[in-house]
Amino acid sequence: MSDELLGLLDRVLGGAEREEGVEAFGVDETETSVKAYDGRIEALTSARSRGIGVRVMAAGRAGYAYTADLGEEGLRDVLAQARANAAAAAPDEANVLPDPLPADPLPELADERFGAVGVDEKVAAALRLEQAVVGRDPRVSRVDAARYGDAVRDTAIASTTGVRGGYRRTQAYAFVEAIADGDEGSTSAFGLRTGRVLHDLDLDAAAAEATDRAARVLGGRKPPSERMPVVLDPFATAAFLGVLAGALTADAVQKGRSLFADRVGDAVAAGPVTLVDDGRLLQGLSAAPWDDEGVPTGRTTLVDGGVLRGFLHNTYTAAKAGTASTGNAGRAGFASSPGVGPTNLFLTPGPQPPAELLAGAGDGFYCQSVLGVHSGANPVTGDFSVGATGLMIRDGRLAEPVREATVAGTIPEMLTDLRAVADDLRFLPFGGGTGGATVLVGAMTLAGS
Amino acid sequence: MRDGADLLDDADVAAVLRSALATGGGFAEVYAEHRQGRSLRLEDAKVEEVTSGVDRGAGVRVVRDGRTAYAYTNVLTRASLEEAAAVAAAGVGGQARTRVADLVTVRPPVTHPPARDPFEADRPWLVDVVTRADEAARSVAPSVRQATVRWADSHQDVLVANSEGHRSTERRIRCRIVVQVVAARDGVVQTGMESPGGSVGLELLDEHPPERVGRLAAQRAVEMLDAEPAPAGELAVVLGPGSGGVLFHEACGHGMEADLVARGASVYAGRRGERVGTAALTGVDDATVLGGWGSFGFDDEGTPAQRTVLFDDGVCTDYLTDRLRARELELPRSGNGRRQSYAHLPVPRMTNTFILPGADDPAEIVRGVRRGVYCDELGGGQVDTTSGDFVFGVAQAHMIENGRLTRPIRGANLVGDGPTVLARIEGIGSDFGMRQGVCGKEGQGVPAGLGNPTLLVGRLTVGGTSR
Repeated sequence: MSDELLGLLDRVLGGAEREEGVEAFGVDETETSVKAYDGRIEALTSARSRGIGVRVMAAGRAGYAYTADLGEEGLRDVLAQARANAAAAAPDEANVLPDPLPADPLPELADERFGAVGVDEKVAAALRLEQAVVGRDPRVSRVDAARYGDAVRDTAIASTTGVRGGYRRTQAYAFVEAIADGDEGSTSAFGLRTGRVLHDLDLDAAAAEATDRAARVLGGRKPPSERMPVVLDPFATAAFLGVLAGALTADAVQKGRSLFADRVGDAVAAGPVTLVDDGRLLQGLSAAPWDDEGVPTGRTTLVDGGVLRGFLHNTYTAAKAGTASTGNAGRAGFASSPGVGPTNLFLTPGPQPPAELLAGAGDGFYCQSVLGVHSGANPVTGDFSVGATGLMIRDGRLAEPVREATVAGTIPEMLTDLRAVADDLRFLPFGGGTGGATVLVGAMTLAGS
Repeated sequence: MRDGADLLDDADVAAVLRSALATGGGFAEVYAEHRQGRSLRLEDAKVEEVTSGVDRGAGVRVVRDGRTAYAYTNVLTRASLEEAAAVAAAGVGGQARTRVADLVTVRPPVTHPPARDPFEADRPWLVDVVTRADEAARSVAPSVRQATVRWADSHQDVLVANSEGHRSTERRIRCRIVVQVVAARDGVVQTGMESPGGSVGLELLDEHPPERVGRLAAQRAVEMLDAEPAPAGELAVVLGPGSGGVLFHEACGHGMEADLVARGASVYAGRRGERVGTAALTGVDDATVLGGWGSFGFDDEGTPAQRTVLFDDGVCTDYLTDRLRARELELPRSGNGRRQSYAHLPVPRMTNTFILPGADDPAEIVRGVRRGVYCDELGGGQVDTTSGDFVFGVAQAHMIENGRLTRPIRGANLVGDGPTVLARIEGIGSDFGMRQGVCGKEGQGVPAGLGNPTLLVGRLTVGGTSR
């Protein structure tokens, strides 16, 4: 419970000295994951882990330390370590702890049915997920893995500036990767559903998604190398948004690592592009009442009708830029000091169904998955060249499958050439939790044979 | 604490193993870990972040007929571990049938003791190291806009004990320095990186002085400012020493991991003894490389470190196994059961994976190419192991024109599939280089060494932005 965590955090704060600011952040998480393969449970994992991270700020210097040892000695040590780390760091005026601000709770984050879901039900869900794939299409007779997982996490924070709070979040997911086999090799594709509790998950929909996407690219050939219209499905769009997210943090801008630095107020994208980050959106995977330094989350419009409006901030980048935090401080866990990152970053959906975008493309390439976005796209320069699997579009309809293709271009060109966004927004676990929709890009370079 | 020996006492371990087998499991194991680490990050010519900490915990695994249940906790008391054991036991269910053998401590076949323990260096000393790297990077050219220098060192103490009576302990020490540089001129922005590391101590900095690491990263970024868009299409590709290790790792190594082989998700499944590559091509995975980034004494299941030949003169030879998969496929245990931490189940993973040097003169290899791409550094990559399809970003490359390296090119990537690349290797240099990476699989990151001599791939799809 977060009350118990807060008690531990208070003990750390009790050791704070007069001239220093101290913030303690704690997590206590219990997770279960069940993996089905070949009609039985291949693995079941259950875990509880707790830990705290401490930030000390003294004379403008910041230091961080963490521990999984929550005994008396561990708590004392972690504060001493954070203090010594601060002493070795350079001073920086922007090193400040946030003041407390009222944050509306988000009780919907925790589904009260979560605790009543037994291990048997979780096992059954993983098995059913695999079965649903295997029985659906004669070309798909096996999975790479079918997995059910869930987690309940308590998060708490307390600081000498008066920030103090705790909340609980529950999550459940079903993930399956289906393998289709044909005469000329195999293909795979994944499907997934996420929710607050097992009851939220449509397992058949996850299975159908994986199966159909794997089967339809079977027998794919290399495409010709030429420029053509490209339609990205929501998965591919979300993968690109994950890269874009990095360039939209104030941290990247201030460090000279963003292609959007000095572009606020400029048209950086075509009119259909409106990019929003909303930390309170419950359908997103990253919703929370406040961020990982206790600042209330909110809604930030980053690109509005193609015009760049601003960046994502935490307390440090905001102090540096003379603005207010947007509630985008994030940590990978108790062992990480707060950075800046998106919460639920999404492309605002347009009015058309995806089929209309295909019709608009005429002849082109429909990209259903991209490979190597994290390595093949450079968030600093905006250049990318990524592997792609999908189908050709002929006369506005999906035609023959394509594999071993590459799609190349630059992020700025892709954004300014983005002709339409479809109405099929969904949130996917890329870059924290980005929301993608089908989009039509006027022309991109496709390379194959 | 000198290694994992002090993490748990033998009586507690034996009791936990007995609890774990109470419901019919055939095999039980305790993996306990204490990891202490430090990191410094310098950016904007200032030490911005200094972090240190302790993570620790233990996991109890129970296996029965190919089913695995795992429970872990980061409270290292007998009561808490017995509770984890009970949860894991409940995951298999049934009647007790296996006895726990008396624990016998096993010595490692190889150790990687550092010459100088990194924890001997205090914080101001490390601040000086990262500052020197930064100053060297900035002095390379006025176009250097930003340098980020990271230092990380860690002690990982591990104890593995199982119901067969195996007990081993080990202290793994690792150090790494990473410099990333951003250079910009006339609206063009490029990046460069250098990141040596190993299962070594502060002597890492004798072989890789901070000044040199900083300069190399900066020189790469600055040179790429003059790069032209890469061509697209099928071309001859030369992989410089060390640069192609990641390609071999992703496109060939993963497919040799026995879990992927077992479930038919590898293009190399069922192909042992078959010729898949050029005759002179030999690739190995070797956890015994002294001080290697991916080295250890025991893997994370207590199996001794060893060298495994993956491709012997082009013939697909041995798969990389952990306990589970070795048993399932009736193969020897190769010591590749690795995990990111106590919070993870071991899976077959590579350690240091590399292609052995051949007989060709690296300069001759380049001279023999009329038009192609020379890769100095690849970026990260990804592979679909089922089809063998891969894609790699190319971080730094040059054109080869009429046997000579000419202009630098940017925005390239390499696309293909593992078996085809192995079969199209037409030259194997007598030189060698290694790089250090963090390999991700099933959400677990582990240090992985990557290496190769100069290699000529006769034809490979280069994805670029110009023709």
